[in-house]
Amino acid sequence: MDPKLTEVSQRFDRFKAAITRKDYDSCTELLSHLKVLLTSFRSLPPLFENTPNAIHELTLARDIYEHAVLLSVKIEDQDAFERDFFQLKPYYTDAGSRLPGSPNEYMILGLNLLRLLVQNRIAEFHTELELLSSTALQNPCIKHAVELEQSFMEGAYNRVLSAKQNVPHETYGYFMDLLAKTVRDEIAGCSEKAYDYLSINDARQMLLFTSDKELLQYIEEEHPEWEIKNGSVFFQKAKGAAPCKEIPSLQLINQTLSYARELERIV
Amino acid sequence: MTEDVEMKELPSNSLLSSSTPSTLHHLKEIASLIETGAHAREVRRILRAVRLTMALRRKLKAPVLSAFLNFVLTPGSDVHARLNSFLPMEDDNEMEIDTVSSVAQLPVKHSLPEIEIYCYLLVLIFLIDKKKYDEAKACSSASIARVKNVNRRTVDVLASRLYFYYSLCYELTGDLAEIRGNLLALHRIATLRHDELGQETLLNLLLRNYLHYNLYDQAEKLRSKAPRFEAHSNQQFCRYLFYLGKIRTIQLEYTDAKESLLQAARKAPVAALGFRVQCNKWAIIVRLLLGEIPERTVFMQKGMEKALRPYFELTNAVRIGDLELFKSVAEKFSGTFSLDRTHNLIVRLRHNVIRTGLRNISISYSRISLADVAKKLRLDSANPVADAESIVAKAIRDGAIDATLDHANGWMVSKETGDIYSTNEPQMAFNSRIAFCLNMHNEAVRALRFPPNSHKEKESAEKRRERQQQEQELAKHIAEEDDDEF
Repeated sequence: MDPKLTEVSQRFDRFKAAITRKDYDSCTELLSHLKVLLTSFRSLPPLFENTPNAIHELTLARDIYEHAVLLSVKIEDQDAFERDFFQLKPYYTDAGSRLPGSPNEYMILGLNLLRLLVQNRIAEFHTELELLSSTALQNPCIKHAVELEQSFMEGAYNRVLSAKQNVPHETYGYFMDLLAKTVRDEIAGCSEKAYDYLSINDARQMLLFTSDKELLQYIEEEHPEWEIKNGSVFFQKAKGAAPCKEIPSLQLINQTLSYARELERIV
Repeated sequence: MTEDVEMKELPSNSLLSSSTPSTLHHLKEIASLIETGAHAREVRRILRAVRLTMALRRKLKAPVLSAFLNFVLTPGSDVHARLNSFLPMEDDNEMEIDTVSSVAQLPVKHSLPEIEIYCYLLVLIFLIDKKKYDEAKACSSASIARVKNVNRRTVDVLASRLYFYYSLCYELTGDLAEIRGNLLALHRIATLRHDELGQETLLNLLLRNYLHYNLYDQAEKLRSKAPRFEAHSNQQFCRYLFYLGKIRTIQLEYTDAKESLLQAARKAPVAALGFRVQCNKWAIIVRLLLGEIPERTVFMQKGMEKALRPYFELTNAVRIGDLELFKSVAEKFSGTFSLDRTHNLIVRLRHNVIRTGLRNISISYSRISLADVAKKLRLDSANPVADAESIVAKAIRDGAIDATLDHANGWMVSKETGDIYSTNEPQMAFNSRIAFCLNMHNEAVRALRFPPNSHKEKESAEKRRERQQQEQELAKHIAEEDDDEF
């Protein structure tokens, strides 16, 4: 075997051992070494040359990047996740025909979809979804992310939160926690508009706090305009009620000026 | 008109009574048209030549083409040999008759690059029509190589057609990904040469290439960075609008998408039925996603009824707001939807069905319990009441319905809708319509085209004298009038 290849494989084994030990600092160090070593292989993207060891090198590089992605979830670094995922993607798409399928492929794709959902990049979520074939869409990891997005769009937030119980893989836990926080903000926003008032107990249940104290703290920090009286939370809703008696003069002026301008242009 | 004069000059070949000579005759006319166009640097004539060719498309046959090639190109040249090799050898008799007649005619052989490219184009169209895709691929690759070396505006029109057929024959054999690099290089060259028609065509071909493989991200990146200018060709503009609409739909920008798709459907020529059907399919879905229901007349357009039938039933399900019906329709026509690649969009529609159902409920009931809401919406989930509650809350927040929730009693109370004419709504609607009409007027004025050289005729000496005489008389006349008035 190629000496460079053996060196990379050895470091990779050390890297995998460090992950199981949960020694994240040495992991990151080893990872950067590995990435530098990978640049010397000519069969990897963007060159894609056909060297004799190509398949072996490609598989090895793909494994390294997959582990890098999982590491970034463990150290909770979303930027690193994005970078590593983008580097991993060509292995699935362009080189996919030459390599045997990776067992982790769908799990990582599902993880990426979930990340886009949490960061509220719904347009990119759907663009990514278009790239998946129909067999991919049947896979439980990906189905989980798609159903989550649907429930989120419809507003059935309790379904989102209950989905937390049945994650297809433990690495999803980190993103589900972030999602829970986003959901809580959404529920608060919706309740504000939909309800006149809520009793403290109900509010606590809906916003998923375990004690009244947490609820009160949350209200103080995020929604100071809510009033708390007689054991109920009153949402300010008096504003929108009265019909606006003012004339939007600036808008009217702009409109009329544009009409005049266009009419003058007609010869 | 000069074109009429040319036709009389060519001795008519109608001595031979079979139909092939008249096609050959037309082809020769077209060739001379191209020549004059090339010499005078008038792109219009070349455009006309291409249009006439399209009319002849059905009548092209191998012997006619060989005769034409012999007429127009120097036999024995590279080009001639290459093109002839693509044409299948047919009846020898017919060929001989034609070659005899052409020899008798003192053929004009200038071998202009325009004529060469035109021959490539002709052979390519013939091969594609006969479904000989591998040879078409080889022919088109050769022609692209030739076009890269020629840098003339008059060739642009022919070149853009060539690019289109190049992409078409690769698409019909399923090898689109191969030519992506070539198309990008050609686009670069066209931009450097300021060949706007070529740029337009190539941009559309590239977008089509990306969208074929669902690479919406890359398509958008290309489209946003490519230079934009006034459209030269209506058909290319329609195609561009369609691709733009598709990209915007996937990116969830439904308002922009609807505008582009509807414009594409409107501007498309009536003959392009398949294209309009596709535009309409996507436009219907985008309108459903925006929450509006397309009218029945959209589905009843001439020739489109059968194709739009699945979408009609889908619209029905969304209009009623019934989730069960929606699911059954989606399953029933899932084949058609996958073929049109609208499957993912249909999945997104579920949310709209629920919204419409909710809206109907909120309008019909002044107060309704959440359990009943859940039952009416037919939400099939573990905890329907809680689901219904959060869905209604979100709908209220998004402004889809006007109501309040009462958690303690578990019901939804609808608000009264006030008099709409006392708000600014009518003014807004009116304003948007006015803006649209004015915009259309401006575009129509800008699109007026006058024949370019009509006002530039050089006056001969006689005419100038005449004109000066007339002016003098007029001046005298005015001077006399002035005197009279005094």
